[in-house]
Amino acid sequence: MLAMDQGVVEEWLSEFKTLPDSAVSNYAASLKDKGALVPALYKVIRENYSDEIVDKDGQSKVLSFTVPSVSKPSVYHEPSAIGSIVLTEGALANHGLSRVVYSGPHLQRETFTAQNRFEVLTFLLLCYNAALSYMTSTSLQSLCQLSSRLCICGYPRQQMRRYKGISIRMTVTSEFLVQLITGIHYALCNGEVELGSKALDDVLYRAQLELFPEALLVGNAIKSSLRGAALKSNSKEGARSIQVEITPTSSRISRNAVTSLSIRGHRWKRHDAVDLGSPDELMDISEVDEGVWPGGVGPDMTLPTITISNSVTTLNLGAKAMKKCRLGGRTSKDKDREAGPLITGRAASENTELSIKRLTLTSSQSVPKGGALTSLTRTASAVFSRSFEQVTSGSAPPSSNHTASETGRYSCSLQEDGLGYLSPTPNHTQRSPSISVHLGSDL
Amino acid sequence: MTAKKSGSRLETDIERCRSEGQWDKIPELVRQLSTKLIANGLCLEKVPAVSPSLSNKNTGSPLSNRSTTEQEQEIITCYEKSGDIALLYLQEAEKVSGIQNRSPKPGPTAQDLELGYFLETGLQRAHVIHFKNGNLTQGVGRFREILRAVETRTTQNLRMTIARQLAEILLRGMCEQSYWSPLEDPPTVSPLDDPTRQGHTHSKNYTLSRLTVCFCYLFCPQENTEEALLLLLISESMANRDAVLSRIPEHNNDRIISLQSASVVYDLLTIALGRRGQYEMLSECLERAMKFAFEEFHLWYQLALSLMAAGKSARAVKVLKECIRLKPNDPTIPLLAVKLCIGPLHWLDEGECFAKTVIDMGEKAAEFRAKGYLAIGLVYSLKATDASLRSTQEDYQRKALGAFQRLAQSLSPTDHLAAFYLALQLAVSRQIPEALGYVRQALQLQGDDVHSLHLLALLLSAQKHYHDALNIIEMALSEYPENFNLLYTKVKLESMCRGPEEALLTCKHMLQIWKSFYNLTNPSDSGRGSSLLDRAIADRRQLNAMTLPDFSDPETGSVHATSIAASRVEQALSEVASSLQSSAPKHGPLHPWLTLAQIWLHAAEVYIGMSKPAEASACTQEATNLFPTSHNVLYMRGQIAELRGNVDEAKRWYEEALSINPTHVKTMQRLGLILHQLQRYSLSEKVLRDAVQVNSTAHDVWNSLGEVLQAQGNAAAATECFLTALELEASSPILPFTIIPRAL
Repeated sequence: MLAMDQGVVEEWLSEFKTLPDSAVSNYAASLKDKGALVPALYKVIRENYSDEIVDKDGQSKVLSFTVPSVSKPSVYHEPSAIGSIVLTEGALANHGLSRVVYSGPHLQRETFTAQNRFEVLTFLLLCYNAALSYMTSTSLQSLCQLSSRLCICGYPRQQMRRYKGISIRMTVTSEFLVQLITGIHYALCNGEVELGSKALDDVLYRAQLELFPEALLVGNAIKSSLRGAALKSNSKEGARSIQVEITPTSSRISRNAVTSLSIRGHRWKRHDAVDLGSPDELMDISEVDEGVWPGGVGPDMTLPTITISNSVTTLNLGAKAMKKCRLGGRTSKDKDREAGPLITGRAASENTELSIKRLTLTSSQSVPKGGALTSLTRTASAVFSRSFEQVTSGSAPPSSNHTASETGRYSCSLQEDGLGYLSPTPNHTQRSPSISVHLGSDL
Repeated sequence: MTAKKSGSRLETDIERCRSEGQWDKIPELVRQLSTKLIANGLCLEKVPAVSPSLSNKNTGSPLSNRSTTEQEQEIITCYEKSGDIALLYLQEAEKVSGIQNRSPKPGPTAQDLELGYFLETGLQRAHVIHFKNGNLTQGVGRFREILRAVETRTTQNLRMTIARQLAEILLRGMCEQSYWSPLEDPPTVSPLDDPTRQGHTHSKNYTLSRLTVCFCYLFCPQENTEEALLLLLISESMANRDAVLSRIPEHNNDRIISLQSASVVYDLLTIALGRRGQYEMLSECLERAMKFAFEEFHLWYQLALSLMAAGKSARAVKVLKECIRLKPNDPTIPLLAVKLCIGPLHWLDEGECFAKTVIDMGEKAAEFRAKGYLAIGLVYSLKATDASLRSTQEDYQRKALGAFQRLAQSLSPTDHLAAFYLALQLAVSRQIPEALGYVRQALQLQGDDVHSLHLLALLLSAQKHYHDALNIIEMALSEYPENFNLLYTKVKLESMCRGPEEALLTCKHMLQIWKSFYNLTNPSDSGRGSSLLDRAIADRRQLNAMTLPDFSDPETGSVHATSIAASRVEQALSEVASSLQSSAPKHGPLHPWLTLAQIWLHAAEVYIGMSKPAEASACTQEATNLFPTSHNVLYMRGQIAELRGNVDEAKRWYEEALSINPTHVKTMQRLGLILHQLQRYSLSEKVLRDAVQVNSTAHDVWNSLGEVLQAQGNAAAATECFLTALELEASSPILPFTIIPRAL
């Protein structure tokens, strides 16, 4: 039964291939008279759908993917390098590598009805989109033309396009349009600039009229992300035209601008000036410093580089290490209180230019008032160095290996580094030096 | 050539320093070496490719025997090598400075490292050439190699750029099937590469220090969307950190730069998450973009759309208001707001305001003006249903009709909506023949529109053509076999013209559909093998506290202003439903449990019609398990009690139902009847008069009221009531017309 239907469809396709371009429109108009074709097409589509929605064991196929999270280490990053700001934003933590289903399971469909039509078509389009790289440019062109037609038929825009034939509005769903847009996006970036942008416009037009938020969202994003990009039309057959340019990567943001990172310290000065009751606040000192370092790469650095006194460094190390300290034993509250007036002094200088303020303040944090702070620092740094020793001794055992990689790294012929660091707590070894890195060199 | 020589001299120098332990000198030497190599590559690129014919003549030239590809290969090798060396240099340099700072003695301050022109070129030129040559596979490979190197402070911005560029390529130029994971070898033949050009692979005798310590700890993407998302989330975190917040003029440029780099990342995130339907997560991401968003329309609009797609309607409306302020001439935005106001939120007054702004745009709104009339018509229509005073009801009905008529004039003749809503509005005000005319017109324009078909069936039932109505419903069901609204009507019609057994079969069929819909194994926790059903049972406890809004009887149920709480519940439930499963059908009733309870209640009603209280009670019990405090369930229990002859118990149930929903007309009518039986005439009259106030088209209430008045000896008023009842009964559909959803 199906073989026969397939035969009808194949015959039609081969007939179509031999047509000269001029005859296509007449041929298309006569299609509705081919009685056997339409039911055969329906059957072929349904059969394909039924095949695609099950896996090889006949189970209903479920397409899922993992939502990555910056709070989990990946082949591309280490959470610690991203900095505390993003990671403390709780929203991110909620998305720890969860597996999410984006399609399926689908019901087997005996018939193709108005109700399930778009469910079936959306799924088939999803399958098409999964193989976009393998599609010929003719196929991509057809996709764009189909999208344009489907979206504007029966709407005022149709008259502007001189599409003849059907003028009935065809129902669409938002999910279906999103899949269409995905295909159009690929076409648009891979040679079909003209047809692709027209199709995208038409889909957006329809999405606006239908008030479909999903399609509008993705369509707008594509339009906006391509605004600056110079898209190349397909010059020769088969060539995909994705290009990248050399981009100046040095930070173009001047150092004294208030960024979301630097604002943290700023806010802290204003509100928490009076009350610094717990060691938690002390830790903010180190966060202020963290706040500075990523911006410090700019070439247009007009500010004088202030050589930081050693005590600041130790203070910051201390503050950082405070976390560890507090894990063990309690720090005396009184000592923290004594730090109070120091902070008020800091708040007083709020009127001065921010960046300078930041620098001066950082140095004033520790330099004048010794007392409690330095003793705190001493404890903290003692803890720190102890923990550091633990780390080094912990990872030391294969010491020969360690030194081998150490020396190896300086030459050009290196073997995979890190083998020497093959300890179960990788972050540990990496973090300790990194603390001193940002403190020392940035300010 | 000299470059090459000095390059090898540098290598020797490095070796020497290493053996002598002069670590501090090495970084500078490495830097020099990298720069040399880049210079080398740049020089080679400048040398024009020599064609074979030409090279035959100039045998003296050192380049003469090389083909173009060989030369290109050498160029790329230069760049890749120099890029790697540059990275190594930075990694080592930072390590060295790190060690210095750690030492207790005050060491020399670490110099501020920065990428010079040469290093930057070296790091980027290689992949640029790959992509120029159409070697997508190698370009992607090179990107990944750089990204997997241990991060250094100096290369942070480079990483951010490259991460974004790689994400762009993954989203624009690759698909699931042409993807290979970063830890796999690239495919030897790939549709991504230009077949006319052959790539090369030069083997390296060194590797960069990687992030990787042990792969088992690390997340490695397995799919192009996953990788794109990971890269974008990393870029986002960096872009977000650099958000320039100060608004002073001299930071204007900085702000624009930070905004641009962030909004590209957010757009790409939208593309990636939108494809996968993850609107909930997207809305959270875009919320983080808000620190850039002051006066930035695009960011506000995208946030509003994502909130809308994620089902966070109330917040979406608030954000849309800001969008309207930023772009007051765009008719789409207020229309989106109306859609939410008359849909999930039921904020009719707000909806009216939004709809009016669209209409006030006049000609500027162009094609959207019609939509504005539709919106305001729907608002009035819903307000008419909500209104408790008959005069207000009629006023809104008139306004709604007016709006739909304007809609009909301004719409293109191919739109069926005008005719459909005119028909619906006329039907609600019981102008059956006129409504039939319009619904036929709507069906001519859109033959398979489910709502038009349903309305036609209801209109036919109002004319007591039950068989025709059933035929229409069956026809509609052949196209929409899983539409529960149609099925509810079918149950009613079947018990009317084919007997209750048929109706019960339909109820059973509905239960089967429900099961096949929601009982599919839920894959997101396939490990536990639990189904959506199991999972939903788990939150049943929280459902117990909710009431069951009416679907079959919205005249007194969820859409009524007095049961705002019920619509809140619906909202909450729809959010639960959307989080339960992405593939859950978007159409139809909101929550599987509501549907299920509804089906049981319909079955109970059929059994009551058959005078089988035991079975009816069993069905009601199923609904009670789901929604014990629903007024519908309590009403049904009252009816069963009545059937069993327990008038007092029935009265108690009805009173409980009314304490939950004081405007449930059906309950009021039954309670009125019981009070009548108990000869408490004046109380009965009071209840029935209240019921008529709520719904003036309920013929059985008029009838009961007439009976009470008659019993009290008020014959004239009673006759009046009987006549009204008769008249209304003649145009009464089998289920209220308002069962048909009214939404934009």
